[in-house]
Amino acid sequence: MMNTQTKSSVSRSGSFENNKTEKSKTKSEIFRRYFRVVHALFVVLMLIQFLPDQLPTETYASYVIWFAVGVEILTLVFSAFIKKPAALNLFVDIIAFIYGLLILWTLATAKFNVLKAALFPPPGKVFWQFIGDYDKIFTNILSSVGIILQGYLLALAVAIPLGLFLGWSARLGSAATYISKFLGAIPPIVYIPYGIALLPTFRSVSVFVIFLATFWPVLAGTMSGVMNVDKKTIDSAKVLNVNKITMLFSVILPASLQQIFIGCNQGLTVSFVLLTSAEMIGAQSGLGYYIKNYSDFGDYTRTIVGLIVVGIVIVMISFLFNRIQKFLLRWKQ
Amino acid sequence: MSKIEINHLTVNYTEKKKNFTALKNVSFSIEEGEFVSVIGSSGCGKSTLLSILEGINNPTEGEILINGEPVTGTGPDRGVVFQHYSLFPWMTARKNVAFGIKQVNKTASRAERYQLADEFLEKVGLEQFKNKYPSQLSGGMQQRVAIARALAMDTDILLMDEPFGAIDAKNRTILQELLLELWENATPRKTVVFVTHDIDEAIFLSDKIVMMTANPGRVYREIRVPFERPRNRAQLVQTKEYNKFRNELLAMFYSDIVSKIGGEEVVL
Repeated sequence: MMNTQTKSSVSRSGSFENNKTEKSKTKSEIFRRYFRVVHALFVVLMLIQFLPDQLPTETYASYVIWFAVGVEILTLVFSAFIKKPAALNLFVDIIAFIYGLLILWTLATAKFNVLKAALFPPPGKVFWQFIGDYDKIFTNILSSVGIILQGYLLALAVAIPLGLFLGWSARLGSAATYISKFLGAIPPIVYIPYGIALLPTFRSVSVFVIFLATFWPVLAGTMSGVMNVDKKTIDSAKVLNVNKITMLFSVILPASLQQIFIGCNQGLTVSFVLLTSAEMIGAQSGLGYYIKNYSDFGDYTRTIVGLIVVGIVIVMISFLFNRIQKFLLRWKQ
Repeated sequence: MSKIEINHLTVNYTEKKKNFTALKNVSFSIEEGEFVSVIGSSGCGKSTLLSILEGINNPTEGEILINGEPVTGTGPDRGVVFQHYSLFPWMTARKNVAFGIKQVNKTASRAERYQLADEFLEKVGLEQFKNKYPSQLSGGMQQRVAIARALAMDTDILLMDEPFGAIDAKNRTILQELLLELWENATPRKTVVFVTHDIDEAIFLSDKIVMMTANPGRVYREIRVPFERPRNRAQLVQTKEYNKFRNELLAMFYSDIVSKIGGEEVVL
């Protein structure tokens, strides 16, 4: 009930308040939502595009304008729909940061040319390059994410059941803890030369190294999770007369899920560092390769495109990971 | 033959190279359909006794027979309610009950299990909370779910280890009445072993009270509760007989404790 009421009043008057409250309150509400520094920054960003260019090369200012207009429209739309003031502030602040960065970047490159033009392309050129290279970037994202997923999921599929089993069997568990501590302490990147000798392709070596980088922390997290499950939880399962499989997968697994996620998170972070590094050394595809390859040719526009794309991909994957974690642990308050 | 026979049960623990006798030569029996409370101060071994009945601990000497068969581990003939942590926090109330049902009834379909779970959650007055997780329920509600699960599993025997020990006084009486009502109205009645340190609770609920004493834990007295069923608390507590019986029990309870400890401060 409450929800629908709020929603309809938002669409009618653009405010949280319902119709009966005084106009002044509604006014201040609109003010709070739409009169913000972020929009002033947008206007500044638009205006500086009309300053004369100092660069001898094309600056692609229209790409900045289109990008900023798109972002501004999204901002206005979200401003109407985000309910919590704190969330709205956060969102608007991030957008303001992007505008601020674009203003400084435009001024320092295209407009006043205070940075070395070869190393610092104007923002419009980066957007233009991004659109021009779209399919290439997409293929490289697929290549990198594919390798990560393959190694990562394989590691989870092996490490979690093994960790459950080892952690559950008291004797094996304590030995396995020490062994995994030793093997897990070896930085996975040092396996690369051996991996190259063992395995036929760059891709298989990458999957192998990501597997190792994920396997040990997940195994350690699972085992420690299992060994720390409250004895009372185990007793309540025992008195229900559960069989071994149910005990492991319906009781011990969810009870140690939080610890398992700590291992998974660690594995994911290391995997990205490893893969992008590895791609810079020996690959013919992937995001690391894209960055390294073009910077070798002095194409710093594409280098910056690559950096931004790597950032976006990692943020999106972490976001997805957090959502999955939140969903699976939703029973914790 | 009694439903449960506890024969010369002795339990020794070794803790830091010190031997500790939790139970010494405990024997008594429980009839089918009987509600028996085990009462005593802390350290008298009442929870240890129950854990052996549950099958999660083993005695050093002696044995427990259920229907003449020795207990060697947990079994589908016993349902258990603990003071805390009976429920799995990652399962909703409904799922918790359905999970219990699944363990004793492998043939029931998922829909049948959920339907039965809903039925029992309704019996304990929680039909509106069936999709809540334990962390979203109060302590009293959690114990209601635990009771619903134990009942839904339809075991012959119900083992309850201070199930209302952590519940506030008002809710405790409500839960006692609920438990009694569910137990009295079931046919056949289940055999219940109920551990508590609350004398009023024991009198109100039980057919028989087994009073235990500490250091080492052993049976002090077995007392039959003389009051008719169905019991009505409000009427019962006003009768002379009730107060006389209660005072006798209290005297027994405290004389034992005082003689043991020699008049020092007693923590129950």
